[in-house]
Amino acid sequence: MKSRVDLLLLLTLLSAFLAWCGGSRALAGDKPLVATGALFDSGDVPDALRPPGAFKGDEGPSPVVFPAQAMPLRFNHKRHVKELGMSCTTCHDAARTSQKSADLLLPPATRCDGCHGTNHRVLSAVTTDEPRPLGQCSFCHTGYDPERPNVVERVLLPKPNLRFNHQKHVTIARVPCARCHGQVEELKLATRDQLPRMKECVSCHVLGSTETASASAPLGAKSIGARGRLKASGACSTCHLSEANGLLTTTFGSGKLLPPPWLHDSGHGSDFIERHKTVAGDDSKFCANCHQERFCVSCHDGNVRPRRIHPNDFLSQHPIAARENNPRCTSCHQQQSFCLTCHQRAGITMSGPIGNFANRGRFHPPKSVWTDGPRTAAHHAWEAERNLNACVSCHQERDCATCHATRGVGGPGPNIGGTGQGINPHPVGFGSRCQQALRQNARPCLTCHTPSDPELLKCR
Amino acid sequence: MRFRVVVASRPAEMRARGVAVWLLAGVAGSLSVARPARAYETEIDASIATQYYTLSSPWGDPQVRRRRYTETLGLAVWNIQGEDDPRGPRLSFQSRVRLDADFGQSSAERQLRDPHYIPGLQESPLDLMYAYLEGQRYLGGQLGFRLGRQYVFDTLGFWSFDGGLLTLSTPANIVFEAYAGFEQRGGGMPTFGTRRFESQGVYRGDRTGYEATYYPLFLDESRLAPAAGLAVEASGFGFLHSRLSYRKVINRDEVNVSPFLDAGAGQYFLSGNRTSSERVGYSLRADSASVGALNGSVVYDFYNQIFSEYAANANAYLSSRVTAGVSFERYTPTFDGDSIFNWFAHSPTTSALGRADVRFSRRLQATLSGGVRWFETEGLSSSYASSPDVNRIGRLYDLSIDAGGRYDYGRGSLALRGGGESGQRGHRWGGDVTGRRRFGPRYDGMCVLSLWDWSDALRPDRDATSLGYVLGAGFTPGPNFFARSRLGFELEHEMNRLVGQRFRAMLTLDLTVLK
Repeated sequence: MKSRVDLLLLLTLLSAFLAWCGGSRALAGDKPLVATGALFDSGDVPDALRPPGAFKGDEGPSPVVFPAQAMPLRFNHKRHVKELGMSCTTCHDAARTSQKSADLLLPPATRCDGCHGTNHRVLSAVTTDEPRPLGQCSFCHTGYDPERPNVVERVLLPKPNLRFNHQKHVTIARVPCARCHGQVEELKLATRDQLPRMKECVSCHVLGSTETASASAPLGAKSIGARGRLKASGACSTCHLSEANGLLTTTFGSGKLLPPPWLHDSGHGSDFIERHKTVAGDDSKFCANCHQERFCVSCHDGNVRPRRIHPNDFLSQHPIAARENNPRCTSCHQQQSFCLTCHQRAGITMSGPIGNFANRGRFHPPKSVWTDGPRTAAHHAWEAERNLNACVSCHQERDCATCHATRGVGGPGPNIGGTGQGINPHPVGFGSRCQQALRQNARPCLTCHTPSDPELLKCR
Repeated sequence: MRFRVVVASRPAEMRARGVAVWLLAGVAGSLSVARPARAYETEIDASIATQYYTLSSPWGDPQVRRRRYTETLGLAVWNIQGEDDPRGPRLSFQSRVRLDADFGQSSAERQLRDPHYIPGLQESPLDLMYAYLEGQRYLGGQLGFRLGRQYVFDTLGFWSFDGGLLTLSTPANIVFEAYAGFEQRGGGMPTFGTRRFESQGVYRGDRTGYEATYYPLFLDESRLAPAAGLAVEASGFGFLHSRLSYRKVINRDEVNVSPFLDAGAGQYFLSGNRTSSERVGYSLRADSASVGALNGSVVYDFYNQIFSEYAANANAYLSSRVTAGVSFERYTPTFDGDSIFNWFAHSPTTSALGRADVRFSRRLQATLSGGVRWFETEGLSSSYASSPDVNRIGRLYDLSIDAGGRYDYGRGSLALRGGGESGQRGHRWGGDVTGRRRFGPRYDGMCVLSLWDWSDALRPDRDATSLGYVLGAGFTPGPNFFARSRLGFELEHEMNRLVGQRFRAMLTLDLTVLK
């Protein structure tokens, strides 16, 4: 009856939970804004025309770095560049001098007036003398309603969440526009999809490079690499915004900045918590671009339980998890303090406070198969060999020395039950290693052997 | 190394050292002599968590009541040098201290010689997690240093010490690192340390007031443990990164070697320098943004004279949305040099896994991994009794699967995690689904539903199925005073036949101030 009530309760909660999640709606502000009027829709632009580093179907550049834009315009880059012979800087001349990513590099509408016969000097009263279609507002402004003259939808270009100096790239490093923006001259409207991809940035900004070469050079100065090429800084904060503490800013209104999967294999997918040791163990400084040590220690200190590692009811299931070695307990816990202390309080250890032993039953299988000979498949030695860590979380040395120490040292003594029985616990090949081990630390040897033990003397 | 025998109990000698005081004084002195700072920024953060729950032994008694109060305080000062030049020298100080109190303990558990006494148990231990002064990019960007209690992360593990670390970066993208100091240890150390970073297998602490025969394996910790390390790191090649690191830790305490009360001639003590651990590790990553990545690492333990860990991973970026890979890891437990467990026959645990990571869209992502893990023995357990042969390797296999997925929607996320491991010795399968949602700028909610099932071939009476849920809510006050703040509450309810109903209530408060 009780379990039925539990099940009913869980099903009720599950239903409510799914209804809660399913009933949620996205914030109005989260709706992606798309540009219109492209020769190719943003998803249809041939790969050859997209910026270098773009993947097929990559959904454009990161919306965290380049928040969604609204560009209700009609424009034909191909006609202006290839047929009319204009260059990029004819309209985007500010790109030569811009030093901040926040600078607006779109040409002012007055730049169009000369050819289109319009007058945008007063935006509240734009006029046109041009009877041809190219002089009409609707020629460029999509959605223009002649019934509401002089009213057009606003162009919305949020500030990118990164540092960028066009001047250094265009004027000093002479990086061609297409290197970052792709073949815009083949398109009509250039959308967000033509904004740069990080994968291309790192072809010059080699990540992790030491800053010794550039450190002595003032910002903006040329730094020449070994092959005579300009050397771009590999520090993440060269492009990404950072805090006063030097870490990258990772939380924006447009989302959370996370590394792409191809960046040093550090994609923060659902299994990254299992994989992160590979990345952090090799290059912790890479992680330190975004994480303070307090982030790491919040789990690895072993005091605060992370749910992703230890799910609900882990207290009940941790014995089997520990024996499966999944997750590896020693990543965060010292067994003889963290584990043993709690096990002693619960009265399940072999050695410990006798006051906690009053109601104790047998934890392991019966002594006849667990510890006594012959060594059948249920003998404790096999479990100890398979995962000794699991044993050490409960047992202290004396539990083992009772039998494994040599006679005269181990065991609770002649008055209680005899001395050690000298059952050799050493692994195959121990004889070849014991000499060096004894020289470096004699303590474990002397715990089980008397100083005059002939077995010990073999290792001297 | 000296060896002596005493019959009488040994009075513990605990000379308090002012290491912490000197450390803090040094930091304060450094701050005071620094140039007048015009651009430094101070960050103070506090995190408070209270949680109540109770667990009991498999036989119902005793019950362990946990009434935990955990308070963590952080202080950091950035840009002590003054103006922040992105390529110039940079000086900062970071510290963190944690009080991890458990008011559910019985006073008898801390009463020496009480039948319920637990050696080393403290009601409200204070842990200075880290406190160090850090300099970066000195001498034209080539020199860096850290001074104080700090962490080292590399293939040798996550480790902490008190001391100094020097980093020398060369234009050839080779970085040299050297450090020396004392391993962070708990017990009687005067520097508010935790035992978390000590090697496994031994339990050390303050034995003041103990007779030598009383809990003889609660080892004396009255002397600092010197530690030193070197590392060479190759970085900045873009496609390649590697790190070679070496570390040695020395035990210096006079230590009891007699685990029993009346073992023949009495109590034995050993003093002198002894190896606690000495290891060298190497890791390598080679990756291409358009092809994939290869990672490998290996650790050699000089004391045990074995390769204690080695691993290799390969991941292929099959497309912009799909990554697939394989991994192999072999891990042999090692213990402190003082521990006898190093010299008990034990075998590595080996894992071979495959994985796939699929990003369906920017909002929906899923991973699936699975494989086999095996445990080895010297001899075949099934036939050893009749024909013992330690040269034949016995293996037991566990199958494992892990699946995870996450969907982000406008106001929150929905995450699924499931999987487990199964083999001859039992299984553990299950999963949970976690939903998080914001309600406007101030409020948030969280719900976790879980179902787990496990069996234990060694203890069939402990098989169980567990249903559980967590309900949580949070409130974020406005940023008028605190840069970041959140007040949260969680209620966890678990149901299984072993414990019946178990509740855990948790209240958290997080605050950050920037000045």
